[in-house]
Amino acid sequence: MTVPAQKPARKLSMKQRYTALTHDLDWTPTYVAEDAIFPFTKFEGIKVHDWNKWEDPFRLTVEAYNKYQAEKDRRLYAVLDGFAQSQGQLGLTEARYMNAMKIFMQGIPIHEYDAHRMFSNCARYLNGPGARFAALCQSMDELRHAQTEIHTLSHYNKYFDGMHDWHKWSDRVWYLSVPKSFFEDAMTAGPFEWLIAIGFSFEYLLTNLLFVPFMSGAAFNGDLPTMTFGFSAQSDESRHMTLGLEAIKFMLEQDEDNLPIVQAWLDKWFWRGYRLISLVAGMMDYMLPKRVMSWKEAFELYFEEQMLNGLFKDLEYYGIKPPRDVQWAIDEKEILSHQVYWILYQYSHAAAFQTTIPDAEDQAWLMESYPETWPVFKATVWDRAQKVVDSGGRYFNPGLPQLCTVCQIPMGFTEPGDPLTQCQRQSVYEGERYDFCSDGCQTIFDNEPVKYRQSWLPVHQIFQGNCGGPTLPDVAAWYGLQPGDGGEYLGSPDNLNWLAWHGQAAKEG
Amino acid sequence: MSVTAEPRPVGVDLQENEENRALVEAIEADNDDLNIRHMPGMIRLTKTGRLVINQASVEARLGRPWETHEFQMAIISYFGEFVEWDDDQIVIAWNH
Amino acid sequence: MAVVAIAEYDFPSRSAAELYGDDQLVHVWWNGNVFFVSAQTFRFPKAMPFGALVNEVLKGFYTADPDFVPESLDSAKWKIDHVAVTPDMGASLEANGVGHKSLVEFSL
Repeated sequence: MTVPAQKPARKLSMKQRYTALTHDLDWTPTYVAEDAIFPFTKFEGIKVHDWNKWEDPFRLTVEAYNKYQAEKDRRLYAVLDGFAQSQGQLGLTEARYMNAMKIFMQGIPIHEYDAHRMFSNCARYLNGPGARFAALCQSMDELRHAQTEIHTLSHYNKYFDGMHDWHKWSDRVWYLSVPKSFFEDAMTAGPFEWLIAIGFSFEYLLTNLLFVPFMSGAAFNGDLPTMTFGFSAQSDESRHMTLGLEAIKFMLEQDEDNLPIVQAWLDKWFWRGYRLISLVAGMMDYMLPKRVMSWKEAFELYFEEQMLNGLFKDLEYYGIKPPRDVQWAIDEKEILSHQVYWILYQYSHAAAFQTTIPDAEDQAWLMESYPETWPVFKATVWDRAQKVVDSGGRYFNPGLPQLCTVCQIPMGFTEPGDPLTQCQRQSVYEGERYDFCSDGCQTIFDNEPVKYRQSWLPVHQIFQGNCGGPTLPDVAAWYGLQPGDGGEYLGSPDNLNWLAWHGQAAKEG
Repeated sequence: MSVTAEPRPVGVDLQENEENRALVEAIEADNDDLNIRHMPGMIRLTKTGRLVINQASVEARLGRPWETHEFQMAIISYFGEFVEWDDDQIVIAWNH
Repeated sequence: MAVVAIAEYDFPSRSAAELYGDDQLVHVWWNGNVFFVSAQTFRFPKAMPFGALVNEVLKGFYTADPDFVPESLDSAKWKIDHVAVTPDMGASLEANGVGHKSLVEFSL
């Protein structure tokens, strides 16, 4: 091992450069009051005494930021080019894998863009220069994520259905109101709640449960572009995790009075975020021909072990407790993915992705991963769905589901300890009834009913005539769905094309 | 409330590629009782207490200039906190 | 609880009863059969007879389940908004106590 020649010493250390090029560029205006420049940081009741206590361990400057982000982009786009030129899509495990990426494409890039906008807002409206600069970097990161996701997946759009109109679907299609309402809920809150909702609860507490399943799933199923995008984005995510953690600690350290406000936000946003990523649970256990790990395993590792036993021990110091409804989530880990996929299976005729009955290999894996609960689901739903197929049909639900007012997911979740009884919760506010899938969602409504009664619930909107018309074809046309986008996977254009590309015949029946 | 919790795992997930080989070797050399786990495309390094990345150690193994900012190119995720990030060293630990 | 906001915050429900005229939304829940993954939401006239709900809607609707026997609904046990009832099949939904977004639950 050779010892390299001594480098000339830098004029400023990293810490000094960072301070000189961020904090020291700030000034206190004498010509206008602080509250007039920053009108949004008092109303939530969060007390801040010294904004200069906001720390950013990454200590980036604009120069360093641009240098490394440009390099990440260069590496990513080289991979995308190579994949496209070598017809890499033929190397996927199977075309039905693409349904996972259809859900990703429809549910995520547009909300990366939402995050870009709100972090831009923070980059202007947070009082402290350190916080503003961190928010500015994150805002640019989120825009980059939206762009790179769109570019990464655009290659697949040439070969597979279910990706062509993701922007319109994000605004209109029923299951996509789940992520849309989540992000709009957070964006319409104040900056401090935003930082706890997205910066901390989503980007720190829950982020690995979103990204690892998709990215490892991509790696296992031959999806090199998505895997590469994922690793590229994740390096930004480590900065986001840091911002989120700094946000919560900053608030807790600035004033003890902030604790109950922060705890209430943590309780609310853990639950909203957890319900949002239940879609990922269904995806990872049912849509990946080659699986990485089960939802149950991912939840145990990335949430219970790393967060509850790691992070929350750290936050105990400030008086923070684990989220109020966390035990419900832990109890659900054996059943969540099954219930979500069962929702998707019976409603995919109205969706922009396809579903199918798990095959023998899938079922063997499900049995191995969920020995207690898989047999229950097999007996109560999948064998019956197979019966319908065996008699020449295919079960699609003939109606519309009851939706939870808060998470907006069809109310297919069940009472703790009783996986065959759907959970029904109702609240009456100013004479009107509202429905919820769980205690968690009901509590969120009861705390802020005037916010959540504004939910744009797809089923209710269809019944009001706001979605193109009364029939399914009317609604599908208004959604912008085309033949091949949704429904059953077997026999679909995606399936038949795949077989043709590989010189294989379609399966009988 | 002041509670000092017992030492808990901290860790970092790195992209597993040629470029990061030297980085991983340096971390291995500078951290006792390091656990290494390989997953598709990534390598997870964990230990109890404090994880240290030394600029000089990485640069010596890499054979070209390396600044700690470049660590961002390698990282996928982490758990713990960045309690230090200077020109010479990065430290991941829990504060409490 | 009031929403913490920078200005007065009071906005109406997007699914208020007035938005449905003489109709209302009704959730029908077959408690005990998760083949239908959740309760179903329908839009019915308030004046629709309960018997029409059973005989003209549900007996056909639930045949999507290959094991469903339509006549079994004739001996179903009913609840409306969690309260056990014996519905008057000849009376309207409204007269039976089914309001906007009420939960009509049955088990076999």
